[in-house]
Amino acid sequence: MMPWLEAFHRPTTIAEALRLMKRGGRRARFVAGATDLLVEADPAARILVDVGRLGLAYIKPHRGGWRIGAATTMAMLEQSEGMRAFAGGILARAAAASGSIQIRNRATAGGNLANASPAADLAPPLLVLDAQVVIAGQKGKRRLPLADFFKGVCQTALKGDLLMEIILPPLNRAAGRRGGERSAWSFQKLGRVESDIAIVNAAAGVGVDAGGRCRWARIAVGAVAPTPLRIAAAESALQGRPLDSESIALACETVCREARPITDLRASVDYRRQMSGVLVRRALEECLAGIEPPRH
Amino acid sequence: MDSLEIRLKVNGEPRSWRVAPGDVLLDVLRRENYFGVKRGCETGECGACTVLLDGKAVNSCLVFAAQAHGCDIVTIEGLAQGDRLHPIQEAFLDAGAVQCGFCTPGMVLNTKAFLEQCPQPTEAEARQALAGNYCRCTGYKKPVEAVMAAAANFGLGISDCGLQSRKKSEIRNPKSEIKRGRR
Repeated sequence: MMPWLEAFHRPTTIAEALRLMKRGGRRARFVAGATDLLVEADPAARILVDVGRLGLAYIKPHRGGWRIGAATTMAMLEQSEGMRAFAGGILARAAAASGSIQIRNRATAGGNLANASPAADLAPPLLVLDAQVVIAGQKGKRRLPLADFFKGVCQTALKGDLLMEIILPPLNRAAGRRGGERSAWSFQKLGRVESDIAIVNAAAGVGVDAGGRCRWARIAVGAVAPTPLRIAAAESALQGRPLDSESIALACETVCREARPITDLRASVDYRRQMSGVLVRRALEECLAGIEPPRH
Repeated sequence: MDSLEIRLKVNGEPRSWRVAPGDVLLDVLRRENYFGVKRGCETGECGACTVLLDGKAVNSCLVFAAQAHGCDIVTIEGLAQGDRLHPIQEAFLDAGAVQCGFCTPGMVLNTKAFLEQCPQPTEAEARQALAGNYCRCTGYKKPVEAVMAAAANFGLGISDCGLQSRKKSEIRNPKSEIKRGRR
């Protein structure tokens, strides 16, 4: 309950939503599923602009990739056949792990990103999928890579504008796929229980040539820095090498080195740092198992 | 403060209420005497305030009342038909899955939405489905048994989707001989 709220707007067009936000200034917030907003219950929020009636709950195929409306719920993502099949289903898996079903029926993809929690479960898979976000503002729409969207803990590039859509580029373009290549993807999460907030989460994708050499790797971790991170140094540690326990260990060491975690009530700096390496190892091992032809 | 009018259906009945911008669905339902909607943690952890919103289980503490405008709400009061309990309520009684009862409405409603989507779950799926409903009396063994028994009853094809009300005598629950709690 937020008894200090002065107005709750339910606009039906994006233009109206943006106008209401502009008029509300610093006192106004967008609200989608409200599963974070009502828990945070920020007393500075006086005016809410609901994005639930803007037609932004959809998952559509788009040029070999996907467009996901910002108001798409976690439950829609986890149940979507398309999402379950795309890139090893890592986005559907992350959505399924993001909370109880009561939460997943309300919490949205856009909210998960716009809230900019370092532990957001959708962030690592979206980062390895090279997702872009579409933002609607007073001056029109703009599009930017998700990696440039996160600016800090609970800080984004939005600045009062509306996150409209997430774009997943086709995998072959994202990965620069060539003949004979096999790829695999993984999402990993560590929490007290899976539906809890992540202590650490991670996602990885790798492409391997016919000789077992890693052509490309994408690695992202969450809850170990002010924003979810792609770890480029760990990706290049794998590139051009055979994907095996040795190269995986090297990549994980790099992840531990690059992680900048904090201590909070859920875990210490040291534990988080160590677990970031463990989760990336599990992710890469799952990828390796997915790529290897059956032994018998 | 701009109060709002919301029109919605609760347990099939059309309702029209004036709410404050900051009201959550939990408060409004309890204010309107739907006391089966329990106030627990108020932060979406415990699931005691679970209701069905357009058929989906949600924590009513984390839904603004204004967001329920135009929606169909089912509370625990809406499940029984007269003195005939819903089969899931029967299954909870038969399994002894009710102790203090505070978490039970949320568990029953969540189970209803779950079994409509997944009529033949594994036990692991049932446990996963109940992850957002905390019991602080005993635990989850009996509730999970109740979900599985309810699913088994539906599987016998007694009713379509298994979710219509049935007479107690029709319920084929292997545990039905276990001592039942007070009705």
